[in-house]
Amino acid sequence: MISPHVRRSVVTGIGVIAPNGPNTEAFWKATKEGISVLDRVTREGCGDLPLKVAGEVRGFDPGELIEERFLVQTDRFTHFAMAAANLALEDALLGRADYNRSPFAVGVVTAAGSGGGEFGQRELQHLWGQGSRHVGPYQSIAWFYAASTGQISIRGGFKGPCGVVASDEAGGLDALAHASRTIRRGTSAVVVGAAEAPLAPYSIVCQLGYEDLSRSDDPIRAYRPFTDSACGFVPAEGGAMLVVEEQAAAEERGARARAFVAGHAATFTGASLWEESREGLSRAIEGALEDARCAPEEIDVVFADALGVRSADRAEALALADALGGYAARVPVTAPKTGFGRAYCGAPVLDIAAAVLSMESSVVPPTPNVVDISHDLDVVTGKPRAAELRTALVLSRGLMGSNAAMVLRRGEKSPS
Amino acid sequence: MTAQLTLDELAGLMKSTAGLTVDPKEMADRPDSTFAEYGLDSLGLLGIVGALENRFGRPLPADAERTKTPRDFLELVNTDPVTTTGA
Repeated sequence: MISPHVRRSVVTGIGVIAPNGPNTEAFWKATKEGISVLDRVTREGCGDLPLKVAGEVRGFDPGELIEERFLVQTDRFTHFAMAAANLALEDALLGRADYNRSPFAVGVVTAAGSGGGEFGQRELQHLWGQGSRHVGPYQSIAWFYAASTGQISIRGGFKGPCGVVASDEAGGLDALAHASRTIRRGTSAVVVGAAEAPLAPYSIVCQLGYEDLSRSDDPIRAYRPFTDSACGFVPAEGGAMLVVEEQAAAEERGARARAFVAGHAATFTGASLWEESREGLSRAIEGALEDARCAPEEIDVVFADALGVRSADRAEALALADALGGYAARVPVTAPKTGFGRAYCGAPVLDIAAAVLSMESSVVPPTPNVVDISHDLDVVTGKPRAAELRTALVLSRGLMGSNAAMVLRRGEKSPS
Repeated sequence: MTAQLTLDELAGLMKSTAGLTVDPKEMADRPDSTFAEYGLDSLGLLGIVGALENRFGRPLPADAERTKTPRDFLELVNTDPVTTTGA
């Protein structure tokens, strides 16, 4: 039984900037249909690098969405985050009129995996090409992991608790958990999520050391987790921001509780030690279920980490079996990210967005480009699968060893 | 030859380095208006100082980055013996 004193966190707004859609509606339509947008890398200066396939956010004009004074002092990763935050706030119908009198009731939390590499590269080129006097002062903030949290806070006037989670890809889920704890301690709302921009020359070079990065030049075959042809993961740009609110505060202003952040747990098992991630991930799943007071059989869909590395995929399948027992082979599992790539910290937040939208639409989106599953899992492939979804489990692992699991419960059904 | 910085040029620098659209006429009409009122923070002013130093090829007075108004900034830059005798 849930104590009446527990302040529960509900998702009231979703904002997505993703390779398969520059807004939430387009993202969900492409995700639900399983449309793959993985393609050859076309970003400037990246053509000769060994990373050939990625999920690029195309047709995104930050100037249409964000004031120039914020654009000149921020990297692309922050442009994505600010734009996604805008969408989430609009979706939640949370405007300045709602918090003008109590700006300290709204906080911001983001997760970041690498900061602003493109901006940083430009300024470092000025440094070594022209000298230190040619490095702009915004270098001091733009490539910093905390840039997106700070700029969203400044731009929106959110003066409540702000934070940045730097805990690897799984940090996307940890940021949401952090937001929930912030709400439990008294904050009314938190703008929370992650967006990344890893597709620029310097940023790509930083990733080339990852053995797990897919070197395939075929967009159809580059990212195929849970199959015998798995050859690594495909990176992506973009991410998602959410508005998470304390349930009563949301109700009071008439906002719809779209999903409950019900449970979370995180573990650490070391960089690229995928066999070890089995135990770490299963412990995270068990912890999240316990936190959510959720039995394994209550889980209606799993959004898998789906790294696309055989040892990692095997570890994830076994972690599910360890934590869910025989039910692991029956619960629908999906990984929509095979259609648009892994946006590092943004990846699990995109999965959270997809999970909320899936529960609202009563459909499990498929796992694009994936056929012939070689594990004892019911991976949804080919086309979307209709299903009543009350509870979703979202999993994430980072290349540096973080593992996290989050349980979401469906909120109120849409009035439509 | 002197390098007198004008409000027009300052407005141009505010645009190019800090992304701010400021009407130079407004800065002239309201001589007490502050950089903060135009949305320029300390980092933004530092960027303008840096751009001018690169243009002049020599440092501006140390107080330049601490001025609060366009008027004070211009006064300092345009009366500095180092900058005004150079370029």
